[in-house]
Amino acid sequence: MPFEPKEPQKEIKYEETRIYTDAELNSYTDEELRNFKIKHKIPDLEELENGPWPSFVADAKQEALHRRKLANERMLIDRDVVEDMLGQLQVSFDDGETHWKHGGIVGVFGYGGGVIGRYSDLPEIYSSIAHFHTIRVNQPASKFYNSDFLRTICDLWEYRGSGLMNLHGSTGDLVLLGTITEQLEPIFFELTHVLGQDIGGSGSNLRTPSCCIGKARCEFACYDTQNLCYELTQYYQDELHRPAFPYKFKLKFDGCPNGCVASMARSDMSFIGTWRDDIRIDQDAVKAYIAGYVVPNGGAHIGRDWGKFDIQKEVINLCPARCMSLVDDELIIDNKECTRCMHCINVMPKALKPGKDNGLSILLGAKAPILEGAQMATLIVPFMKAEPPYDNIKEFIEKVWEFWIEEGKNRERLGELMQRTGLPKFLETIGLPPAPQMIKTPRENPYILWKEEDVPGGWNRNVNEYRSKHKR
Amino acid sequence: MDELKKIIVEFAETSKKTKFYFKDIEKAVQKVNPDAKMREIKKACTALINEGTMIYFSTGSSTMYGLKGRGMTEDPQ
Repeated sequence: MPFEPKEPQKEIKYEETRIYTDAELNSYTDEELRNFKIKHKIPDLEELENGPWPSFVADAKQEALHRRKLANERMLIDRDVVEDMLGQLQVSFDDGETHWKHGGIVGVFGYGGGVIGRYSDLPEIYSSIAHFHTIRVNQPASKFYNSDFLRTICDLWEYRGSGLMNLHGSTGDLVLLGTITEQLEPIFFELTHVLGQDIGGSGSNLRTPSCCIGKARCEFACYDTQNLCYELTQYYQDELHRPAFPYKFKLKFDGCPNGCVASMARSDMSFIGTWRDDIRIDQDAVKAYIAGYVVPNGGAHIGRDWGKFDIQKEVINLCPARCMSLVDDELIIDNKECTRCMHCINVMPKALKPGKDNGLSILLGAKAPILEGAQMATLIVPFMKAEPPYDNIKEFIEKVWEFWIEEGKNRERLGELMQRTGLPKFLETIGLPPAPQMIKTPRENPYILWKEEDVPGGWNRNVNEYRSKHKR
Repeated sequence: MDELKKIIVEFAETSKKTKFYFKDIEKAVQKVNPDAKMREIKKACTALINEGTMIYFSTGSSTMYGLKGRGMTEDPQ
């Protein structure tokens, strides 16, 4: 289905939005970069550059040199911000504690999130970063940009901010690191009015929803992750920008159980594509894999000779549900036992495909450690169709929110609330019957308890009558 | 709406604290007006923010509401 934006999309004239010339962007030589020293001594940070991986220190020094070369009027905040940031970080390494204060009044008008106040607690020494606020920019679904857009964002941030950015933050946003309070509104205007780009969520809000590459680039996607992510981002704008939740709330969308955005571990409400019919098998392609005509794993791991592909060893024996077998070169799958681990499909993508009756599973309550330890999500809805306008999904989301807003304490995540109240009460509140899929393994999580009204005769019984049949 | 706004401002003016979680505002409003719904209270808060009577106070991970002029309500210079 072709993408249909909710509002007419205006064409951005990138030739007018760019700020810097190529000469300004390529203003130093490799030689100059090698010999460049920032104005503070940063021995521990420079040590980080010696490791085998690219270092943010090397990137930051490159940016610092770039800012030294720019003309004064070509930047609206202090040219030394990057050097001061590195200097302060060295002090934090020396002291073993941070020198950033965070939080406060900063924001853009009418928005309760998207801007996070940052202040240095050493403003006398590192004056240029006395204010160094962070802006979160809502990434496009699946983080697909064109390069003109990225260049424009980089130019804007060099001009009105520090030039330092983090692509991408854990929630998926583009994180623009470091600007002063006076620049917040102009940046917001440029992003929204010129580039048609909203800022993301922070604070007690719905955080920027995030999705995998979905049907745009992946044959495994069981629903249109980008469309659902876009739809819910638009539909829940109020929740995204005007905080009224007990704490943060994250939605993430994985198109299949491979879980490329790791929604099961990182979001309060995780949507994972699945199917309820059978895995599609092309038996000829299975034979082609066995005979070695098709490379397994889509050609991954071919850097080394692992020997001939062995379907028994590499696929069937590795099935966690033991639901596969090979009979006369025919692959048989006992689909009702399949736990959607995706291994067989990943190894033989030409032979096996997810079923056609597609939808998604919803898991709730994953979180990183803050009040309680880290938690993985619990499966709550085994299967739900995911088709526009997604009313079934919205109805479910709102039921969960209603419960969490009502019962959740300040700064309590959904996962912690579920743990505190127990799953039976949670299921009862959101109106779902207990299902076997909610239990991780047999004889685990024995959380389904009888209630008096469900038992014929209630808790009262005639003991004598019982004893007449059952001796002590 | 005006009545809710009045209750919120009264609460924000008289409370010992100067910054409030939304939930605290909700509880305070429902004490005076038990029929007030969460959505309506949120709308009243948003209207107060848009008027400039109230401000958001964000730590980055959670957000609170405060009355402009009470407690820390300006960006420290």
